Amino acid sequence: MTDSPIITVSGLSKIYKGSQKPAVDQLSFVVHEKEIFGLLGPNGAGKSTTIMMLCGLLKIDSGSIQVFGLDVRQKSPEIRKLIGVAPQEIALFPALTAYENLFYFGRMYGLDGATIRRRANELLEAFGLIEKAGVQVIQFSGGMKRRLNLIAALLHHPRLLILDEPTSGVDVHSRKMILDYLLALKSNGVTVIYSSHLLEEAEKICSHFTIIDEGRLIQEGNLADLLARSGGSRNLEEVFLGLTGKEICH
Amino acid sequence: MKVIATIRKEFLLLTRDPGGMAVIFLMPLALVIVMCLIQDNTFRGWQETRMEVLLVDEDHGALSASLERTFQNSPNIRLIRKSGSEPLTAEAAYRLVRSGTYGTAVIIPKGADAGLRDNTKRAVTRLLAHYGFVDEKYNEKALPPVELQILFDPAIKANYKQTLSSAVEKMLIRVQADGFMDEVQKHLSKATQKNKIDVDFSQMITVNAQDASGGDRQGIALNAVQHNVPAWSMFATFFILFPLAGNFIKEREEGSMLRLRLISGSQFPVIGGKFSFYLFVCLLQLAMMIGVGLFVMPLLGLDRLILGTNYIGVLLTGLSVAMAATGYGLLIAVYFKTPQQALSFGAISVVILAAVGGVWVPVFIMPEIMQSISPYSPLNWGLNAFNHLFLRNVSTAAVLPELCKLISFAFATLAASILIHKSRTVT
Repeated sequence: MTDSPIITVSGLSKIYKGSQKPAVDQLSFVVHEKEIFGLLGPNGAGKSTTIMMLCGLLKIDSGSIQVFGLDVRQKSPEIRKLIGVAPQEIALFPALTAYENLFYFGRMYGLDGATIRRRANELLEAFGLIEKAGVQVIQFSGGMKRRLNLIAALLHHPRLLILDEPTSGVDVHSRKMILDYLLALKSNGVTVIYSSHLLEEAEKICSHFTIIDEGRLIQEGNLADLLARSGGSRNLEEVFLGLTGKEICH
Repeated sequence: MKVIATIRKEFLLLTRDPGGMAVIFLMPLALVIVMCLIQDNTFRGWQETRMEVLLVDEDHGALSASLERTFQNSPNIRLIRKSGSEPLTAEAAYRLVRSGTYGTAVIIPKGADAGLRDNTKRAVTRLLAHYGFVDEKYNEKALPPVELQILFDPAIKANYKQTLSSAVEKMLIRVQADGFMDEVQKHLSKATQKNKIDVDFSQMITVNAQDASGGDRQGIALNAVQHNVPAWSMFATFFILFPLAGNFIKEREEGSMLRLRLISGSQFPVIGGKFSFYLFVCLLQLAMMIGVGLFVMPLLGLDRLILGTNYIGVLLTGLSVAMAATGYGLLIAVYFKTPQQALSFGAISVVILAAVGGVWVPVFIMPEIMQSISPYSPLNWGLNAFNHLFLRNVSTAAVLPELCKLISFAFATLAASILIHKSRTVT
């Protein structure tokens, strides 16, 4: 049985200033509650632009986005309270320690000191970083930074988590830790939008896939649907190559 | 709480950035000290600067002695009479001044004293004979004037030339007056068989020069320390834009600013926290540099900074200047998209505002056109307020117009920063 939709994107379009070609072109999809939704596409497909519009940080040229029944155009501050975003960039202060970063972002989420301490310890423990809580982020490995980037998005218990390339450039150990945690979040009722070009990884954790290219939706459905429609593909990567005709940039 | 969290975060970031700390605290200190030392002589002027003057005496008469005495009584002049072991000649003096070895030479030609006496005697005899007091013959034809020569190095400052020439002319007037009186008394003494008396012309009229400020402020003038400490302190304070804009743009480029934009709520805590923290840093800078003016400058042989007695006024002025500097830095940080743009524009604009505002040279010696532009620079408002307080020891009310301008500038730049930052949250 399908859970109720929490994101409805309809006819979404965006053209950047000075560009003739739309970054997102008449894109429509629905994200249901408690699913890990894979937003897939080659580099430059429009994934990050779509995510920025979902968060209300980029103006929508046409179309609409409803998140938790609220219109992004009018209610983006309210929506941002309910979502956690781990952007593609390592959005942390390198000179601060892991704990100082979390404490600052926790404060900016409006959490009190005791809640931040409890939540930070809990998440640092879960992601294997508790020993590094007092170490400056600049000294972290790429994988550790990615994990902390994700922790910062989870501090305020978001109902919807949006991840843009969350495992980009990380080691196997960090990747497993992140993916396991995402599956655990799903089972706890958190909805995840997972944007990546790492198809093997997406195949393992996503329950629904939306493949976009050049800003347009080219295919969506669960893995079984996609494989069936592709006519002989054995996995998501083959489906993707068949649809986009493009190599994945690893 | 969000503003306090931002202040704490900024504090941690700055204390972990030794380069930033040096830019904020060490460089301004070095700047203030170097500028005070460099400009010390410029501010002292001729009266306070020791000058070497070549004296070529080809006459060895009373006039030479009088001129020598005048120069010897001046603490700022050191007379040089010899070139090596030989007495100076006019040719040698000309060569030494022309080569720039010495700035000035005074040449007393042979027969100068006798010539002056002859001229005086003729003038007095002619005067007394005209009114029938004496019946002495005198030369009807005027004698040629005695000509002292002063040579100047072309590179010497114009006001030095003027001041030295004035000193020589003043001395000559006194010598002429003495000679005139002596000659008159000689005739009167001969006619009346009475002895000569001493007449002191120097005590007939005196000039009482004083500063138009309170009694306890006499002698406090705009010297290198009084000008440079507040002026360059403000200049350095406006350079807060370097760490402020640098960090702000770095946060934007590194992505931490993106996370803050993703967190719901007003952007005021982010901007307000930064403003508050850097405002405190600017105040600390100003306090440190005033401390240097009070305690370090005297150790370097410079004057001690005089603060006046209106400490509340000084504190409010410091706060207003710090607010204006932080607001300007924040606006540059928010407006420009790359560090290169922000720091280049910021640095050049602060240098221009400082030059126009009277930091490099006092406004009163600027050309008229610059003097008319100067009142539009925030650094000029701050400098005026500091000068009023330090040199004129005025009340806070007297500097209120300058403080209002600075605070208005600060709020205008802060408001513009918040609006620009907010407008860029959704692009």
